[in-house]
Amino acid sequence: MHGGNNENENIFEIEEQAAAEIETLFDENTILVQRTLRSGQRISYEGNIVVLGEVNPGAELIATGDVIVMGSLRGVVHAGASGNVRSVVVAFKLQPTQLRIANHITRAPDEEVFATNLPEIARLKNGVVTIETFNSEWQGK
Amino acid sequence: MGEVIVVTSGKGGVGKTTTTANIGTGLAALGHKVVLVDADIGLRNLDVVLGLENRIVYDIVDATSGNCRLRQAIIRDKHLEGLHLLPAAQTKDKTAVSTDQMEELCDELKREFEYVLVDCPAGIEQGFKNAIAGADKSIVVTTPEVSAVRDADRIIGLLEAAELRDPKLVINRLRVRMVKAGDMMSIDDMLDILAIDLLGVVPEDDQVVISTNKGEPVVVDEKSLSGQAYRNIVKRIKGEDVPLMDMDNDSGLITTLRRLIGLK
Ligand SMILES: Nc1ncnc2c1ncn2[C@@H]1O[C@H](COP(=O)(O)OP(=O)(O)OP(=O)(O)O)[C@@H](O)[C@H]1O
Ligand SMILES: [Mg+2]
Repeated sequence: MHGGNNENENIFEIEEQAAAEIETLFDENTILVQRTLRSGQRISYEGNIVVLGEVNPGAELIATGDVIVMGSLRGVVHAGASGNVRSVVVAFKLQPTQLRIANHITRAPDEEVFATNLPEIARLKNGVVTIETFNSEWQGK
Repeated sequence: MGEVIVVTSGKGGVGKTTTTANIGTGLAALGHKVVLVDADIGLRNLDVVLGLENRIVYDIVDATSGNCRLRQAIIRDKHLEGLHLLPAAQTKDKTAVSTDQMEELCDELKREFEYVLVDCPAGIEQGFKNAIAGADKSIVVTTPEVSAVRDADRIIGLLEAAELRDPKLVINRLRVRMVKAGDMMSIDDMLDILAIDLLGVVPEDDQVVISTNKGEPVVVDEKSLSGQAYRNIVKRIKGEDVPLMDMDNDSGLITTLRRLIGLK
């Protein structure tokens, strides 16, 4: 993603210094997946992934950027796959088998957990994957 | 022109052969002309379930490789006039038939039969690819277990990729008591993940095993719950709108009495 040629690296430096809004403007490509991903299916993309459907157990999503699932996310998800620690995962129902952001890995607790009906966001805070209810106040912070 | 329906599952042993035999028998009992194709080459089963093993002379590999004419390989059922079987070969493996041959075979069969039901082998390899090659429609069988549902989901993905849209789900071996106790996946749990149309639910029933051993599919057994479940499935395949039956064994007299006297 970032890196490779010099031009990209420059952009990346500006991004680092600029405000959060600018980062989203400079952001990577995004693909829109308009179907449910079933067990054994995998999408890996240099950029962001938006799924309009479900991600079932046994399916995998790998993005160098952010991942948004407009449905239940029950498979394995990796955001920021080439190291971007600012990547996030958002899902209407966030119940991944395993969730990775950059090189941090978490998995669902083995016991049954309280399930919310609200969309949730997973991101790294002080090196720990944190999951919170998603609301519109979140501005790429 | 008839239609070719393939019965698949992914995971082995969940009831593909049982489902194929019962749906086929059920359709034939209603007067339809049906042929069951055993595509599980190397592991012959369907003939045994139908009690036709001793009548096999030629098999599917003989027919596709030109060793005999297709007509010669097809066996008539001993009870039902409309029911026929194209048996698998016992001694060859799954590569003995190609996808092209399978397509040709299905085309030929559906010119003669109203329903061509293909019993698929377990797994997602060549045998599966062959079995679905000539199909117009598909049925996915699962049991209420996480691993079986996971494999069913994988199969549905592969069927969709092969342009076999709109597969229908059969849930087999459901145990109402266990679901109630929270020890088994419920119908809703499975539909939530698989998100395809439900064709029917067959309860766990000893009668299935007993009838299988007799070579007479349970669908012709008027008294059994599983037989009723298969008859409903057959009607739904014919396009009838049949509600899911109440499989609650507890809804008998005792429970009703208990409810009346306020014990439950
Ligand atoms: N509803 C049921 N209740 C009780 N036993 C059942 C039921 N359905 C199937 N069985 C039993 O489960 C076993 C496996 O069934 P079956 O052979 O139909 O599975 P299959 O999916 O065709 O297996 P394979 O993958 O090996 O081809 C058989 O012994 C059968 O009698
Ligand atoms: Mg079988």
